[in-house]
Amino acid sequence: MTGAPAILCRLRQAVAKIEGQETDLDVAARALAFGFCNIDTVLQGGLAPACLHEIAPATSRDFGAAAGFAFALAARAAHDGRHTLWIQTDFAAIESGDIYGLGCDPFGLPVRQLLILKVSRPFDALWAMEEALKCRGLARVIAELPDGGAIANLNATRRLTLAAREGGGFGFLLRHQPSLVTSSAETRWEIASAPSHPDQFGGLGRTAFVLSLTKNHHGPTGRWTVAWDHHERVFSALSLGVAQAAFDRSDRTSLVRAG
Amino acid sequence: MWLRRLSTDRIERRSSVPGEIPLIIVEPVKSALRICALNDAAVALDLKPGMPLADVQAMYPYINVQDANPQADLALLEAIADWCDRYTPLVGLDPPDGLLLDVSGCAHLFGGEQMLGDDILAGLARQGLRAEIGLADTVGCAWAVARYGKTSLVPKQASRDSMLLLPLAALRLDTEILSALAQAGFKRIADVIDRPRAPFAARFGQGFLRRLDQALGREDESINPRRSPPSYMAERRFPDPIMLESDVLGTIGQLAHELERLLARRGEGARLLQVALFRVDGKVHRLEAATGGPLRNPDRIKRLFIERLATIGDKYDPGFGYDMVRLSALTCERLDPAQGGLAGQDYQSELAHLIDRLSTRFGSRRLMRLVPRATHIPEFAVAAVPAQLACDDFAVDLVGQDSLAPVRPVRLFSRPEPIDAVAEVPDGPPVRFRWRHILYEVIAAEGPERIAMEWWRDDQGHALTRDYFRVESKEGARAWLYREGLYKQRNAGNPRWFLHGLFA
Repeated sequence: MTGAPAILCRLRQAVAKIEGQETDLDVAARALAFGFCNIDTVLQGGLAPACLHEIAPATSRDFGAAAGFAFALAARAAHDGRHTLWIQTDFAAIESGDIYGLGCDPFGLPVRQLLILKVSRPFDALWAMEEALKCRGLARVIAELPDGGAIANLNATRRLTLAAREGGGFGFLLRHQPSLVTSSAETRWEIASAPSHPDQFGGLGRTAFVLSLTKNHHGPTGRWTVAWDHHERVFSALSLGVAQAAFDRSDRTSLVRAG
Repeated sequence: MWLRRLSTDRIERRSSVPGEIPLIIVEPVKSALRICALNDAAVALDLKPGMPLADVQAMYPYINVQDANPQADLALLEAIADWCDRYTPLVGLDPPDGLLLDVSGCAHLFGGEQMLGDDILAGLARQGLRAEIGLADTVGCAWAVARYGKTSLVPKQASRDSMLLLPLAALRLDTEILSALAQAGFKRIADVIDRPRAPFAARFGQGFLRRLDQALGREDESINPRRSPPSYMAERRFPDPIMLESDVLGTIGQLAHELERLLARRGEGARLLQVALFRVDGKVHRLEAATGGPLRNPDRIKRLFIERLATIGDKYDPGFGYDMVRLSALTCERLDPAQGGLAGQDYQSELAHLIDRLSTRFGSRRLMRLVPRATHIPEFAVAAVPAQLACDDFAVDLVGQDSLAPVRPVRLFSRPEPIDAVAEVPDGPPVRFRWRHILYEVIAAEGPERIAMEWWRDDQGHALTRDYFRVESKEGARAWLYREGLYKQRNAGNPRWFLHGLFA
């Protein structure tokens, strides 16, 4: 940035500092914390912004969980009111279904902040993702590639990383299968679904994930079992021990229900 | 403008020696094949339109005969009309073989009316088309002069004088009126022009007088243009045709700057933009780009057309190059200058531009927003609306909805996938199911939630109900299954199970 825009940008920051407010730049530069201290410690505060992150299901039956994890990450930061773009190839939609608006909202991601782009070729998905990452109007870009997404190799992910650095948003690459292709992504996650704890009505409890961090550019890897609280939009620990013994909690039998 | 040999030119322009071999075109009229069009060489043989083919073949057994093809003629006429767009935006068709061009205010761009006419004729001749033009104050007069006149240019206010000597057929009259007039002894326009009107109206009808008035300018007649003229346009002509994509884009960039000035003067922004590329050989390529909001920024206009050109690939072959490029704003909206705030940076316009670009590149139906609909049929409960059309207030927040509403999956298959499921009790959830060759053991289930087709969509009452279950497998995978119909229903067979969606 040079000339007038740069001066304007400096002035804005100066004004924000005087008024003690956060500027857009501050918000964009903030890491995406999980709200779950074990993971945030390993990631040194959360997922790094202006970077590319990769997500893949551990097995083919875990696809729903992997997609849900991407939704959850997008929902974590949704309070900034900025848009999320979800790019999907046609084949990916046939393989694993279309994004369903009625499901997104209760999951924590407001559907009005969601844009969906369908493309015919994986190449187009990468192109669109690069262009979208450069745009400062979008906070998060998720591209879904069928199979291992072999097209997203080191070169392609490097381009995406550079684009993300320019635009300052988060880039998530959702592969339908874990891939061994080298990539310049900051972190790489393998997601498996975990059995949930039934809620107090005997129904299905909160969504639970087994998160495996298989690559971390700036720290150790790890593996955690967490539950997603769609209402508070935080991840929390899911203890795998024996379920709590039943006891009378008549004060809590109000209309609370997890999803 | 009269394309006097349109049908034969259409065939002959492909041949190597156009115009030298006699060619006739025949169509069935009154139970015989008769000549409907012929070329100059055939005229030299004393053939005339309307002659039966049998007579012609008796005289010239080896003459070249083709069937009439009115559709192809019309297509050619449209193509020529496209080509004429370079002279004026107001081009009207006058089938079967004429074009009407409104050149008021355009002629000086080509160095006067004479030069304009010559340019058109030369351009058409290069394409192998023979034409006559008439340029006059009124449509009727130009029509008459083009077909029957000796000169093509009629000076201002001279319509009357120029038409005096022309035959009555020049007035665009029906053949019955023409023959009636001939019987009454009227041959030329001069014979009728100064006579009392009432007897003519009584004998030949009002239509005759209207044609006369139109030709003389006493009654208004307007050209019905094929395309509505754009509100704003900028164009550039090249003495040497350009062929490279970068040159075309550079030109579009320059034109966008001109267009911005025009738009800014009236405080408007374009919603629909069009680039017309005029190829040397007469073909016109039109590229359109729509925007989500009024747009004036030249760089963004150029970016839109970069995306547009990238998608079409080789479909638009530049051939020997383009000799004119025109950028026009077809639809415009009011766009007031906005004050950039100091406090916060506004990324909205950047996002709007991205939406425009992605929509231009992949098609506006590919970039969508989801909008809830008031129906409980899962497939129809959310509609995908093109993001360019849907402004923010379109989307209703669902969060405020009843938190006890049944949970819906995050992914929904547009076509529910059949599965093999085993249920312990009829009407109960499945205990295990097989989807895509993988067996899932169900350990927890919620349901059933019965969804039936809305009665107004299902007037026959044949649609089966669906009982939906939310199930979780031993590994934790969650799916949305449904059973179509009920056990022990009258129309026999066990009900089928489907997987409709995936939960996170």
